Amino acid sequence: MDAHKKIREHISALGDGELASSDLELAAAALRLADGEQAWIAYHRIGDVLRGQAAPEFSPGFNERLAARLAGEPAPVRRGTATPAPAPAGATTSDAADGSAKVVTSP
Amino acid sequence: MTTERECDQLLVERVQAGDQQAFNLLVAKYQRRLLRLVARLVHDPAEAEDVVQETFIKAYRALRHFRGDSAFYTWLYRIGINTAKNFLVTQGRRAPTSTETDAEKAEGFDDADNLRDINTPESVLASKQIAFTVNAAMEALPLELRTAIVLREIEGLSYEEISEVMSCPIGTVRSRIFRAREVIAEKLKPYLDLGGEKRR
Repeated sequence: MDAHKKIREHISALGDGELASSDLELAAAALRLADGEQAWIAYHRIGDVLRGQAAPEFSPGFNERLAARLAGEPAPVRRGTATPAPAPAGATTSDAADGSAKVVTSP
Repeated sequence: MTTERECDQLLVERVQAGDQQAFNLLVAKYQRRLLRLVARLVHDPAEAEDVVQETFIKAYRALRHFRGDSAFYTWLYRIGINTAKNFLVTQGRRAPTSTETDAEKAEGFDDADNLRDINTPESVLASKQIAFTVNAAMEALPLELRTAIVLREIEGLSYEEISEVMSCPIGTVRSRIFRAREVIAEKLKPYLDLGGEKRR
């Protein structure tokens, strides 16, 4: 098996939560490469289809629009370890972080 | 062994270290599951997409605070549910009750009829082409590859469980699942806009 194939096999197992810890570093590095990223995308897509979940399809350009917005965002780099983790962002106040959404709590 | 949760956490930590591409991988993994969830709450397809996009943006912004106390996907789904609820409120529509927005229930939702109205004709066609290609490729797979990937993707069995069912070593299971994915992915290539799906 060639090296690329072996690495894609690592990515396949990683996506299943079945990769040996000793191979994690290699797989993580492979995910930074186009071949690895494409394999990751394709494998998850196959899984979605096989589960037959009547998954709705995104309109053309969805990912480009999301990418454009993400590109305008500052990287969420974590500073230090003292920052307290809030409740899941959508649950309470973080929804209002961009000022566009009213906070709603579950009844 | 690296579990799926650990895998997600690894990607989260890469994002927290400044690697946006790692967030793209999380988007690729969860975008359809998230859309399926949101589509139960916000029925207009364009609006559902907007909510998904907003959810990922919010998650990205908040990710610096995520410590992995909960699984990434439950955290993401909660953001998605609340973003959808807030959207409905701002649109003057009724927000679903907490029972209706139960993430686990929504995740298991698989009623094609109820999803039909959230797709455009173009997206339905693209989705059908992809589904047809995957299913045709599946049918052409050797039995042992087909069995392995069915047990993994549809039945959700672990490699160890599959090795017991198929009476073969775990390494063989891993190889069979990978080979099945490789064959299907090759057939799928013309239909996956990987250039478009990539968000570098």
